[in-house]
Amino acid sequence: MTNPALRARRVRTLLPALALALTATGLAGCGDDSPDAAPDAATSSASGAITIEDPWVRATTGTEDPTMTAAFMTIDNETDEDVVLVKASSPDAGMVQLHEMAEADGTMVMQEVDGGITVKAHGGQLLQPGGYHVMLMDLTGELAPGDEVELTLEFSDGSSQEVTAPVKEFTEEEGHYHSPGTEEHSH
Amino acid sequence: MAGSERTPLGRRRFLGYVGSAAAGAAAGSAGGAAWASARDPEPAPPAVPTTSEAVLSPYGPHQPGIAAPAPRVTEVVALDLLPHVDRDALGRLLRAWTGDVEALTTGRPTPGDTEPWLAEAAGVTVTVGLGPGALAAATVEGPWGFGPVPPMRHDRLQERWSGGDLVLVVGAPEGTTAAHAVRQLVRDASPFARQRWRQTGSWNGVDRAGRPVTGRNLFGQVDGTGNPAPGSDLFDRTVWVREPRWAGGTTLVVRRITMDLDLWATLTREEQERAVGRRLDDGARMHPMPPRAHALRARPAQNGGARIFRKGANYSTGEDSGLVFMSFQASVEGQFVPVQTALDQEDALNEWTTALGSAVFAVLPGFDEGDWLGSTLLS
Repeated sequence: MTNPALRARRVRTLLPALALALTATGLAGCGDDSPDAAPDAATSSASGAITIEDPWVRATTGTEDPTMTAAFMTIDNETDEDVVLVKASSPDAGMVQLHEMAEADGTMVMQEVDGGITVKAHGGQLLQPGGYHVMLMDLTGELAPGDEVELTLEFSDGSSQEVTAPVKEFTEEEGHYHSPGTEEHSH
Repeated sequence: MAGSERTPLGRRRFLGYVGSAAAGAAAGSAGGAAWASARDPEPAPPAVPTTSEAVLSPYGPHQPGIAAPAPRVTEVVALDLLPHVDRDALGRLLRAWTGDVEALTTGRPTPGDTEPWLAEAAGVTVTVGLGPGALAAATVEGPWGFGPVPPMRHDRLQERWSGGDLVLVVGAPEGTTAAHAVRQLVRDASPFARQRWRQTGSWNGVDRAGRPVTGRNLFGQVDGTGNPAPGSDLFDRTVWVREPRWAGGTTLVVRRITMDLDLWATLTREEQERAVGRRLDDGARMHPMPPRAHALRARPAQNGGARIFRKGANYSTGEDSGLVFMSFQASVEGQFVPVQTALDQEDALNEWTTALGSAVFAVLPGFDEGDWLGSTLLS
């Protein structure tokens, strides 16, 4: 039902040979965990991969600071090894950082994540408003609802993913995304 | 505090149910047509379908809601494109909707949903189609035989229930989930399109023991007995378009049919049964069949072999009651139009039923993971 060759349009998986090999051997040992993940050659790379679900980017139209915004998604890691999202980039942003919300002196502040965002083996990690997110700064232009943003995500296993994320309106969390160096970013 | 972990439920959930999805579709010929031709009701499978079993994969050659059993709640929403929308913009809308469909089908909130608690129920289907206006805006030719339904003598069509550049058919196990799914889909379409009309209906496709049954319209008729069974060759030949770019798609005619329940209630039971040509209690065909009976006039043999696959959703509002009638077929001109034309001329039911709305859509082929709705047409 799932043809890996057809994954190219929205989520392109660029697994290097080493990661692919790890994935294939890993799957052979975990059949009891997921009986649905039939480990034949055609599906092993798809079911044993890192996948991005539900990506979206908050529109900047009408926001306080339209030079920055955030991207959200779910990262699923169906491999046997923990992986870390170490870097993200986009042609639409001059600078991209991985951020988290953390408590400091009783208030929630946004800060860059030390060492990237870890996704446990056979686990998933939400990047969502109020939590981890991909911070897009120095935007090259306004991002209106209905636009699309291309993102490249790089992982600790050497693999990378290209994602096309729709830009959507979002009214909550207004003002939560401030530029680094402002008071709310002091550690 | 920085973000929450979760298990990759979404993918697992539908991957695990691919097999049962096919079985559900096969069992669910329950979902369809009644005022059409003859076929004994399917023997009911023993097990009660649970919510999780009803989860379909969003992926495959066809959009899964078409062959799925009739959902309890159906919302049909037509939208009109904004003037600036061209092929590129339509592609962006369909990619955004693809993400929404993937999420909703597997019981997740749509990306960016501000009320994610309303999207917890599994078993949602979303079927997307393009009307003539969207095909023109994207300079895409419809499938062979795609065209308007000509005016019928008994129609009393109203603009507010007719036409539309895009259609969404949302099926859900209950109304709150359906309403929220529609809201999110329409919201995500707002840079491109505005809602034109929205029709909501319900269907009871299970008996007291929870076994699948064909279900009844508001006249009390078993409605859908004559449908080709999903999964059969006949169904595939009736419904799916085969030409390359549209392969796996279909066409959809949506008709809002008001039903005069008060006048119907003045008939004797025998008069009611003669109008449709079926017994009311079990939907079995009458012998001999009265010449103007609906079940006779709608038979493929009466219409040069033309056959449709139909689904219904009963509606009841402060204004009137009736059926949101959905007909799926490979060709509007080759299948729906001859059947409807024959019924317009001879069907005894015309006395108590009147079409208030009519719209035609080309339903997009299905998509595989990593692909998007309409990619074969707009790429």
